[in-house]
Amino acid sequence: MTLLDPPAADNGLAVLHALRCCGHSGTVRVAAAAGLDPADAESELIDLAVDGLVTREGGPFGAWGLTDAGRAADAERITAELESAAARPAVTAAYERFLVLNPELLDLCTAWQLRSVDGAMTVNDHGDPAYDARVLDRFTDLDARAAAVCAAPAAALPRFGRYRDRLARALARAVAGELQYVADDVASYHTVWAELHEDLLATLGIARW
Amino acid sequence: MVRWVHPLSADTEGAADVLGAKAHGLVALHRLGLPVPPGFVVTTAACREFLRAGRLPDGLAEELAEATAGLEAATGRRFGGTRAPLAVSVRSGAGVSMPGMMATVLNLGLTAEAADALAAETGDARFALDARLRFLSGLASAMTGADIDGAVGPGGPAGLGAEPDGGERARLAAAIEQVRWSVRQRCGRAVPEDAARQLELAVCTVFASWEAPRARTYRELHGIPHDLGTAVVVQAMVFGTRDARSGTGVAFSRDPNTGEAGPFGDVLFGHQGEAVVSGRTATRPLRDLADREPDVWAALADALRRIEGHHRDACYVEFTFESGELWLLQARPGRFVGAAAVRVAVDLADEGAITRGEALLRVAPHHLRDARTPRIAASARAAVVARGVGACPGVAVGRIATTTDAAVRMAADGPVVLVRPETSPDDLRGLAAAAGIVTARGGPASHAAVVARALGRPAVVGVGGLTVDTAGGAVRVGGRTLPEGALVTIDGTGGEVALGRPPVAAGTAGPHLRRFLDWADDVSGDRSARGEAERLGAAHAVLRVDRP
Repeated sequence: MTLLDPPAADNGLAVLHALRCCGHSGTVRVAAAAGLDPADAESELIDLAVDGLVTREGGPFGAWGLTDAGRAADAERITAELESAAARPAVTAAYERFLVLNPELLDLCTAWQLRSVDGAMTVNDHGDPAYDARVLDRFTDLDARAAAVCAAPAAALPRFGRYRDRLARALARAVAGELQYVADDVASYHTVWAELHEDLLATLGIARW
Repeated sequence: MVRWVHPLSADTEGAADVLGAKAHGLVALHRLGLPVPPGFVVTTAACREFLRAGRLPDGLAEELAEATAGLEAATGRRFGGTRAPLAVSVRSGAGVSMPGMMATVLNLGLTAEAADALAAETGDARFALDARLRFLSGLASAMTGADIDGAVGPGGPAGLGAEPDGGERARLAAAIEQVRWSVRQRCGRAVPEDAARQLELAVCTVFASWEAPRARTYRELHGIPHDLGTAVVVQAMVFGTRDARSGTGVAFSRDPNTGEAGPFGDVLFGHQGEAVVSGRTATRPLRDLADREPDVWAALADALRRIEGHHRDACYVEFTFESGELWLLQARPGRFVGAAAVRVAVDLADEGAITRGEALLRVAPHHLRDARTPRIAASARAAVVARGVGACPGVAVGRIATTTDAAVRMAADGPVVLVRPETSPDDLRGLAAAAGIVTARGGPASHAAVVARALGRPAVVGVGGLTVDTAGGAVRVGGRTLPEGALVTIDGTGGEVALGRPPVAAGTAGPHLRRFLDWADDVSGDRSARGEAERLGAAHAVLRVDRP
């Protein structure tokens, strides 16, 4: 009796879906979201472009993006993957947990950007390390609870584990003093969190509006 | 014996740390002789005891029953009754303001039987079912911390969602069952069909919401102690949804954007509760009340004058009117900032309500910096076509783009204002390409607001009633259709969207600010050339020393 080979990871779908959740992105960002190195991601992007599922635009905001056909193909394939992994209950539960944490995450991003001084909301100029440390403490607390959101679906769908890693990395960099990793960078906590939100909606087929 | 529950009246004793700020404000309204729905408050001490012991303190259930009987006597209605049913609102109210952090439940007491009775009494089954659905949604959301609105989604009780042509009543009935099912699924218990048990459950839920992680985080960030607890305010419901002569709104005694005297705010006819604050529905300018319900308008204007006299400051109220009768639900000082704070302080001193010294102390030196942020000029108010919440200060002028693709394309030819229902990661390019951002949904902590601030783009979010037609390339708001490419100006401080390119007040010192700073120099005796915040700071230093 031979052991069955594990199914080859579907790198094409990983890249396609990364674009679905990130929106238009450069190769490096797609690679990070898909868990591939940039050369492999680019090769997949080119194949997908040949199939008419993604396009590349030039100009100052140029980036890879999905075509309508790419969006439809992603919806179909991500649903098939969800059902074949029997992961719908786990993803639904994750989404419900996510919705409880989401307002708090947004509160925290807001507190990071604005602070109340004498009753007036003022732009946080990050000149008060004690205040920033207090906000980052709360991020760390939230992050521990957010781990549970990704853990259950990650068992069946490994990409949810990548969110866990990317969120942890963004927070670690912010705590280490790279403040743009809270809400300003494309690899910031807020950006990765928003991708996770989009992924949960896309995976469950829930329309945003 | 400690009493956990106090009826709300002009005679209610107790400080804000025991009654909570909301109840404390309602007692003040009673003392001013203003119309407040009858109610009672469960103290913060009861909350602390609940949090310590994990259950309602002994005697509280009896006190709730007794207080509810008092409400029945005051209103001539029966709690959970099968005739003339009494419904109540259950709101959190801590000693310090924690807006939006804790639970609120409206229309409590509308058991299935009581809702039937309300339908029979009003002859309006849709109204009664809608009220019961709002109750169950509010309680379910409070119990789970999630937004449960009864929309029939995946899963759910068998046999529901299968009657698309069943009409409005069938839809409401299905949504009610969906919410009840969601509560059983998530909480492992049913919502009791007994009004008194519902009230106990709601009080527990509000108390427990003090410990919700989001509330804890808010307190950590704002330096509020974790051991204060919240009070719970229970009041007889007034229904803004009752009929065409009902509604709800918020009002300031002066314009919070400019400080100009006169009632200012928003009203929603045929709605109740949080609808105005949530931004989900298009509000009308408060002035509309003057035409449609002149008696309500007159009573409201009078109330604002009296409350302002009490606080000796601009004030804010939340109100509901039912069948043409005004009720006040909350009142507090206006807490204006920036140029508006300066103008109110100067005007109040001119009116003799406060001294010039008090006026100076009303404005923090930081606020003067905000007073310098560019704003759409007050003279250009006629050009304002929509209002939302200012999420990132500053003024942006640009042509409307309704999609991220259009924003990127159009930005090559000049500045663009991106207008979206709400934003998602897919909009990041458009947000980066745009000079300003407008969204229909979301508050100051929404995705769009967070990104706008990260990018330093002026933003207005939560513009109620704004619809974005991406297929048709147009946005609709306040009865107007604005095509893609139309020139608009947005003010990310006041949350205004104006047509064209109205004049912008670029932080020039107005007459109020000039006089205000002259007063500051009079106090400090220093007339040397210095920054504005410094001039005010010097006056504060003298005034604080002189204070007894």
